[in-house]
Amino acid sequence: MKEPSIEEFLRENKPVVPDDPTFILETRRRMAEVEGIKGEVDRQRRYGRTVLIITLVVGVVIGALATALAFLFPIEPARLTGESFWEGVRLFLDGWKYILMPAVAVSAILLGLLLARDRRSAELL
Amino acid sequence: MTQERFITLVKAEQESLRRFLLALCSGDAALADDIAQEALVRAYVASGSFRGLSKFSTWLFRIAYNCYIDHTRRVRPEQVPLEDRAALRVPSDDASDASFRYQALYQALDRLPEKEKAVIALFYFEDRSIREMADILQMPSGTIKYHLSMGRNHLKAYIRL
Repeated sequence: MKEPSIEEFLRENKPVVPDDPTFILETRRRMAEVEGIKGEVDRQRRYGRTVLIITLVVGVVIGALATALAFLFPIEPARLTGESFWEGVRLFLDGWKYILMPAVAVSAILLGLLLARDRRSAELL
Repeated sequence: MTQERFITLVKAEQESLRRFLLALCSGDAALADDIAQEALVRAYVASGSFRGLSKFSTWLFRIAYNCYIDHTRRVRPEQVPLEDRAALRVPSDDASDASFRYQALYQALDRLPEKEKAVIALFYFEDRSIREMADILQMPSGTIKYHLSMGRNHLKAYIRL
């Protein structure tokens, strides 16, 4: 009589998976948990992004106004004492206008990129 | 991929996936199902990146095998002797000759290196081709054939037919 080969033995003795009707239910439960976590992460990300966008918009608007003010109404430093608050502000803006302008430009570019990326992500979804 | 689509695909593969992991876990059904669930969660999280370049089943088995490897790296080997471990996993309500056969099979599988165990399980229990096995285990076909041959030789030595 021919001896059974190891291959026959393996093919005839496939492990038997115990029947478990709860397996798919457990998978569904875990998937629901994953969805919950995903939702929370999305909410946090959206919140962070919104705060960033608001900050950039406010920065760009105020910065642009301040820069425009500094260029449109040049001051004569000799006539300002810098003692009052507004005189101090005007002196500060005049001194920093060449730094303020690129900063506003960079913020505006960043804002544009962020908004463009947001729109692209929304389209992909 | 939607939740329902994912579940539909998983339902078609669950028995095969659980059997593959059962063989890798040398008959420990509870551990095999735990790893299967972990693999399904990982697959679901990554399902957005599944582009259909390979079959869903191949992709799922690859994730499951990686989960199993992670598990074996995480957990220290048990201190229980091999014979006792395998004996504990044999279903008590099986016919006695079948019980002995499974006991012998699981004990022998337990002694195999992970790669040999994986190729034996995929080839003989899941009827996968060498190419599919190469995709699942991320190895060249030649290496798969080598492990298959080595695994067979080892099993011949461990199982008295």
